[in-house]
Amino acid sequence: MSAALLLRLTVEDFLYREAALLDAWKLKEWLGLFAPDARYEVAPTGDAEAGTLSSAESLFLIADDRERLEQRVIRLLKPQAHAEYPHSRVRHIYSNVRILADTGAQLEVNANFVTFRTKRGVTATYMGWHRYLLNRQDQGLLIALKRTILDLDGLVPQGKVSMLL
Amino acid sequence: MVAVIQTPRSYRSRYLWLDRERGRFLVHRSAYTSPEIFEEERRRILHRSWIVLGHESEVREKGDFVVRQVVDRELIFNRDADGRVNAFFNTCRHRGAAICREPRGNRKSFVCPYHGWAYRSSGQLFNQHATYGYGERFNEDGFYDLQPVPRIAARAGFYFVNFDAAAVALDDYLADAGPMLDAIAEQSGVGMEVVRGCHEYEIKANYKLICENSYDGYHLDLTHSSFVDYMRTMVKGIPVSEMNIRGIAKSLGNGHACFELEIPTGRPVAQWLPVWGEQARVEIEAKRLELERRLGAAKAGRIAVTNRNMVIFPNSIINDQQTVLLRTVTPTAHNRMIIRAWSLGPVDEGPVLRRIRNEGALSFLGPGGFATPDDVEMLELCQKGFESSDVEWNDISKGYRPDENTLRDTDEHFDNELQMRAYWYRWNEIMSAPELRA
Repeated sequence: MSAALLLRLTVEDFLYREAALLDAWKLKEWLGLFAPDARYEVAPTGDAEAGTLSSAESLFLIADDRERLEQRVIRLLKPQAHAEYPHSRVRHIYSNVRILADTGAQLEVNANFVTFRTKRGVTATYMGWHRYLLNRQDQGLLIALKRTILDLDGLVPQGKVSMLL
Repeated sequence: MVAVIQTPRSYRSRYLWLDRERGRFLVHRSAYTSPEIFEEERRRILHRSWIVLGHESEVREKGDFVVRQVVDRELIFNRDADGRVNAFFNTCRHRGAAICREPRGNRKSFVCPYHGWAYRSSGQLFNQHATYGYGERFNEDGFYDLQPVPRIAARAGFYFVNFDAAAVALDDYLADAGPMLDAIAEQSGVGMEVVRGCHEYEIKANYKLICENSYDGYHLDLTHSSFVDYMRTMVKGIPVSEMNIRGIAKSLGNGHACFELEIPTGRPVAQWLPVWGEQARVEIEAKRLELERRLGAAKAGRIAVTNRNMVIFPNSIINDQQTVLLRTVTPTAHNRMIIRAWSLGPVDEGPVLRRIRNEGALSFLGPGGFATPDDVEMLELCQKGFESSDVEWNDISKGYRPDENTLRDTDEHFDNELQMRAYWYRWNEIMSAPELRA
């Protein structure tokens, strides 16, 4: 088996595990996949250049540093996070995983996704692509950046990004 | 004809029931659930009110345009080659196709994709992509130019439109909400601008529910308790004694209202939080001094530290908090709406404060924030409650005094419900009027 194929399978295994933790709402374990200085971002909808925008200059949907990501997880596990109480059912489908760059210490990875969310009899579909920067550690991979670019003009009819994409 | 019963003790129309002896202010839930009433609202209110279209910074250069929905109309909002700001219905005068298909851009002309009718940025038809078939006098009176909305006017950089040619002037319509808009523009000596990126999201609820929610102080500590927990971690370094929330509610005339809050949760203009760091402190102090030099200490102080949530009747919302958030509400049915929200900041704001502004905006107010998704949830639960029960009346009585002047009044408690009563009083006045103005 070629080294490139083995690396892609390693990355896919990692991403599928990430998706499985989100599907199961195991958010504290999910947070454990992130580096101490990681960022989690969802770019604005309805902008053809969303993939190149910076959250410092533009209004994103989510632009969390590690601290706010931890607060997001704490909040989402409380019954007072009303939009997600009881938790919606979510299913994260990842595909078209491509390794775009490998510096040795860090991998740049793109993956297409579809995430389904069902709450009170209504199913919403979110689609787009994730851009990951993955740090290579002795014990495996850690997420330094997960940036989500939605292929949506707006959150119509989804209404919100109350869970994690 | 809508029967209205008025006695010293009570007032009752199809929509409102005021029991002054018991201190009850009730709104009939059909105002949120009836498709027929929604149609009537469209005719009487939405097509005859001044509604915010956008901000001058979105059409700064000649040729700049954005396509924008206002109620059920799609408009091209642009600055033409002569520098004039226009709002045209986005439809070809020939056979009707929507001529502009991009959401924003810069164009000297708009060409219909169907038969090629071409319009200048001023709306003037200048080419029909035809060498024969039309006489010279065909458009001599401009009949076939892009049709502008009947009225467009600006206040403090915010452009409003009205589909009623006979509407009162914008400044008269805005009443005391006008100076509130001025105070937003005064946050900068060189103008405000819309930050790139729009929060667009659908809520499956009647559009008036987001208006009520936007200046509802009563729900904050409960609906948003998980956000308050988060804020406690954000404001570390501020003594708990300073965390007391003080605020008032004001009705501003013509159904507009706001609440004003002094709460030390930080504002890029101009209230510093320790977690923002030293560079931000230096910049915010400089901003505060600039405000004081330009506006005087008292006014500068109010602009610097006062958070304000305002609804301009019937559906324009401005939240002046961690950022200035402009929210437009597009009702698409009696139980559906689309929200579009933009963040505004001073044109001359540096990267440190701009980042703080953006993060403040999305952490609370956005559809991926720590608060707005829970508001969306509450509004949809309200709509569900209305539509799945036989209960007829909603209560909006908190702080109701029988002598309350709902159109111009102040309540020293921002978490009473004067704001909403101001809205409903005006709404009922228009909806219960015997006949439409011709």
